[in-house]
Amino acid sequence: MYKMKRLLTICLCFMMVVLLAACGNQTNETETNSPEEIEFWYSLGGKSGKIIEGMVEDFNKSQDEIVVKATYQGDYYANHAKVLSALASGTQPDVTMIEIASIGTFAENGALEDLGPYADGKSGLDLNEFIPGLMGNSYWKDTLYAIPFNRSTPLLYVNKDMLSNANLDPAGPKTWDELREYARKLTKNGEVYGFSTPIDIWFYEALVFENGGKILTDDGTKPAFNSQKGIEPVVFWKDMIEEGVMRMPPGEKYNAWDVAVQDFINQKVAMIFTSTGSLNNLISQARFEVGTAFLPAKKEYGVPTGGTNLVILSKSSADEKKAAWEFIKYMTDKDQTINWSKGTGYMPVKVSAVNSEEMKKLYEEKPQFKVAIDQLEYAKPRPMVPGYKELQEIIMTEIQRAVIDDNVSVQEALDNAAKKAEKLLK
Amino acid sequence: MKKILYVLDKLALILLALIFVFPFVWMVSTSFKSLQEVLIFPPKWIPDKLMFQNFVKAWSSGPFVTYFINSVLVSVSILALQFATMVPAAYAFARYKFKGYKLVFGITIAALMIPPQITFLPVYLQMSAWSALKTHIPLIIPFGASAFGIFLLRQSFMQVPDEIIEAAKLDDASEWKIMWNIMVPMARPVFITFGLFSFIYHWNDYFWPLVMTNSEAIRTLPIGIAMLKDAEGGINWNIVMAGNMILVAPILLVFFFARRQIIKAFVYSGIK
Repeated sequence: MYKMKRLLTICLCFMMVVLLAACGNQTNETETNSPEEIEFWYSLGGKSGKIIEGMVEDFNKSQDEIVVKATYQGDYYANHAKVLSALASGTQPDVTMIEIASIGTFAENGALEDLGPYADGKSGLDLNEFIPGLMGNSYWKDTLYAIPFNRSTPLLYVNKDMLSNANLDPAGPKTWDELREYARKLTKNGEVYGFSTPIDIWFYEALVFENGGKILTDDGTKPAFNSQKGIEPVVFWKDMIEEGVMRMPPGEKYNAWDVAVQDFINQKVAMIFTSTGSLNNLISQARFEVGTAFLPAKKEYGVPTGGTNLVILSKSSADEKKAAWEFIKYMTDKDQTINWSKGTGYMPVKVSAVNSEEMKKLYEEKPQFKVAIDQLEYAKPRPMVPGYKELQEIIMTEIQRAVIDDNVSVQEALDNAAKKAEKLLK
Repeated sequence: MKKILYVLDKLALILLALIFVFPFVWMVSTSFKSLQEVLIFPPKWIPDKLMFQNFVKAWSSGPFVTYFINSVLVSVSILALQFATMVPAAYAFARYKFKGYKLVFGITIAALMIPPQITFLPVYLQMSAWSALKTHIPLIIPFGASAFGIFLLRQSFMQVPDEIIEAAKLDDASEWKIMWNIMVPMARPVFITFGLFSFIYHWNDYFWPLVMTNSEAIRTLPIGIAMLKDAEGGINWNIVMAGNMILVAPILLVFFFARRQIIKAFVYSGIK
């Protein structure tokens, strides 16, 4: 009886101490005049996250005017939501990574700082140094809002050993028809699937581009994916899944990506689509020769780019913005971007980096790293109208429904998505 | 016949146990494997070489001491606050019929149905207005009262026979004394059960600490573990699972020590 009471009293005391300590923490935090402290939110964990942390540390050591506090905020989706809620309460970071299709949403709301004056100014930056194919998602209504950082394209990864054993060209299939044929030959009933890809918006965009189609009309006001050119990619997937030569990895969002990658490493599938950002991990984990290739063409080659750009939030103070700009310049600097690319497989964002001795040597030793850069020639920006983040969920859900459910025709599913899209885009 | 039934019964139990134990065994096994062994299929249950380094790697991948202290601090503080608020509330709901009783109780029960994903934005804005975002307050205060706990405790308070309370009243016991010295000890198993639920929920919570905190200094273990994963695939599962082992170890300890109480809590419901 008394024990319980005593326990409760102790708990209450403990709680008070905690709360007081927590409050104390806050008052102790005094503002110092210099160096300028800015906050940076990033959304990559694991090895990539470690590399980012290292870069931030290097930046802090490289000078004594700016201190960057880097905080991990979950994956792209989580960071997007967090930045939105932080903006509403005025606790936003000064600089953050934003998934490239979301740039428009944030820019339209006035959340992002116009970077044009910074790039032109005294401590400017020659924008022509950036690889042109990566700049497509940097502008919104002709204003520069974002600088490319961790950038990727989807790649076709092949298990070269398996392809050679099946008397197929280890360089991989070049067209959709070849991909299907390869998949047929590589499939061993119940044991190995020839091909697998997450049924994800990003890969769907790629196939639509390759089919000469568009996701949205050029002015971004109407859906364009429910045309023949948008339907064929889904039919292509659906047919292969029904034939049993393609596996649809189960799981929500990035979980499905994980499954595809794990299946590939376990040699349960011979070919997958995934991001170039996984390249380094894949090469180091696979116990077979990993090959990379362009996504197989239909009418033409074509891919969206992916990943994130760095942005400065317009709510920050002028000094913070200036500091944030210096930080962005550092992170996208030639040397940094080379290290970043070598460590992860994401593309270097500067032309000078691609042409550097260091990268050339790497491309010679590991030609898989070069494919994404070469493929950029056919890259198109992702749609980035406000509302595209919601829209891509809708399209993804409908495509997945069409692929899984025999009773739903592809046309029906995409029309359904288009109907919802029209409301969103208004 | 009886024997056959007995064997079948035990077999079914073993099978059921295996189903529940399987993921756990997989986690333990994976956490000790080398990266190459993780990927072997069908899985190898006992690794060739026990990789204790995995735990070191997971632990040293971030400020895990801080995460750990924060996790303990947050979970225990929440529990303490919840106990402090639910006892008087449950007592009032169990023993009194006051004006507006139905409405207040209805609101309390309705609170059970609101997921944190809905309340997080207003709470976030409120916490920001108090400039409390860099403290532990947003992780603790919003969970200071538990509708589930109040409901559970009310039910058990209602089971306490009126005679006991009448007798206490004859002895001149105050309401306060009746509540703490008579009711609370009788409902002990309920406290333990609820405490476990609450502790495990907040110990494992990922969403709330992620959205409410912007600095490493106040973050909890699940966020640290999630950071072991790479967004676009190629995850080092052995390290992630070692991290998960670190995460569940305290819960296992709590279970181990509370084992008898848990069984009692289930038995208790049969006694009136």
